[in-house]
Amino acid sequence: MTLITVQGLRKSYGAREVLHGVDLMVEEGEIVGVLGPNGAGKTTTVECIGGLRTPDAGTIRVAGIDPTAKNSELRQILGMQLQQCHLPPKITPAETLQLFAAFYPDPRRTAELLELLGLTGQADQRFEKLSGGQQQRLSIALALVGRPQVAILDELTTGLDPAARRDIWTYLQGLTGEGMTILLVTHSMEEASYLCDRVYIVDDGRIVATGTPDELATSRGSQTVTFVPSVPIDPADLLRLPGITSATVDHERVTVLGHAAAPQTVLAALIARGITANQLRVTGPTLDDAYLRLTQEN
Amino acid sequence: MIATAALFRNEFRLLLRNPAVVIWTILIPIAAIVVMCLIPGARKPLPTFGGLSVIESYQPTLIVFAATMLALQMMPMFIGQYRELGFLRRLQTTPTHPRHLLAAILALVLAISLVVGLVLLTFPLLFGVGLVGRLALQSLLLVLVAASFLGVGAMLAGVISNPRVANGVGAATAAMMWFFAGMWFPRTLFPGWLATISDWTPGGAAASVLGAAAAGQTIGAQPLIALGLWTVVGFAIATRSFRWE
Repeated sequence: MTLITVQGLRKSYGAREVLHGVDLMVEEGEIVGVLGPNGAGKTTTVECIGGLRTPDAGTIRVAGIDPTAKNSELRQILGMQLQQCHLPPKITPAETLQLFAAFYPDPRRTAELLELLGLTGQADQRFEKLSGGQQQRLSIALALVGRPQVAILDELTTGLDPAARRDIWTYLQGLTGEGMTILLVTHSMEEASYLCDRVYIVDDGRIVATGTPDELATSRGSQTVTFVPSVPIDPADLLRLPGITSATVDHERVTVLGHAAAPQTVLAALIARGITANQLRVTGPTLDDAYLRLTQEN
Repeated sequence: MIATAALFRNEFRLLLRNPAVVIWTILIPIAAIVVMCLIPGARKPLPTFGGLSVIESYQPTLIVFAATMLALQMMPMFIGQYRELGFLRRLQTTPTHPRHLLAAILALVLAISLVVGLVLLTFPLLFGVGLVGRLALQSLLLVLVAASFLGVGAMLAGVISNPRVANGVGAATAAMMWFFAGMWFPRTLFPGWLATISDWTPGGAAASVLGAAAAGQTIGAQPLIALGLWTVVGFAIATRSFRWE
């Protein structure tokens, strides 16, 4: 079932249009990432979906609800983590979670959330005394306290240490197993690759690509083969091989870029000529490469 | 309703963690009345105060002081800080609209003003100062007075976005209210034109009705109209000008 549908979303701030027609779909139980450079319109997009901003044009449905019209219905099923959001300095995490629990009919227990987000030790510390990472984790907990059907998380693990990130990723994956759907704004390709079923790449207010992280990586990235040949070779010879897009030599080290079968093709050609490939390295395409190409093309 | 009650409890707890609030709006006014009650001379009716004691003539000023400190100087700053922190916006993402938070804050400020005001009115009765029979009228007037300061405070919170500016303007407005209530200079010695201006300010009107009630005089319509006007106009401007972000 499609849980979030966005069609032709446009939004301007003053005379400047920041979203020029965004289309996006999220299926139930999916974790979908929204990637893109600063100022691309990621936050504006999710804030429109979350009913915090009113779009100038386009339609949005979240579980059949129009966020601009039925705000109170939306609040019951949607949890949001905001990018820039602070709590009163003297409130503690336990008090905050209990306060927010009072807003929902069937909230998650405070102790459970504190434990899962590693805040049990800071339960009674004032917000102003928490580290940036602890404040961030509390902010995630607040988005989840009402057992939302959909969670929108903006910059989920920015500023968290690697161990805490893994813990939160694992926890969120568990929640999607229970049927929760997550729309995630992120800058981290690692996070997107690890966590997201699909990603949308946004650039300059438009969706420029979508797919699974693997699809995007392989569609846009190349296999890279580098080695030092036992006898010097002419890169032009390698370029004539099928599926090879580039071959260069730098200080004896040969670098060949090509399609999925390129490593096999290159090695076979070398073996046929009796050349040994020393210090051989093969690297697959990454989401990073795909992202950089896509956002720089524009 | 559950949400507003939870917000009220939470705001109360946070307010008690703020030493400035506790000291200026609760401890100092109550300490002042306690100390005055312990001085025998302050309890005696004096002809210069129209037959009232020092305590009775300072009661309205203390009530104005406590209520304005909280409603004018502190409250607009707190609301401005919540806006600046993004806490109001954070609440917008929950089923609870941030107006419930404002309702909780207003109710809390009103409640504290009333409780402190009641202490200021009743404590001297233990020392034989004032009349129990006048307490009902005084309490009723106290509600009007507290409501009018709340209206002015809400107006400041609505019109001024920056919490530091709100704090400064609130402090200046509060000091003006103390002046008009006769804190530094007895109201009876105000020249005619100043008395007229004073009577139409919430501070002056508050001192006027509370003073008259203590002395057993008839309460004029003018100060009651002034208090009502400030309440209504204050809240009307506040609701029109308030910004959530």
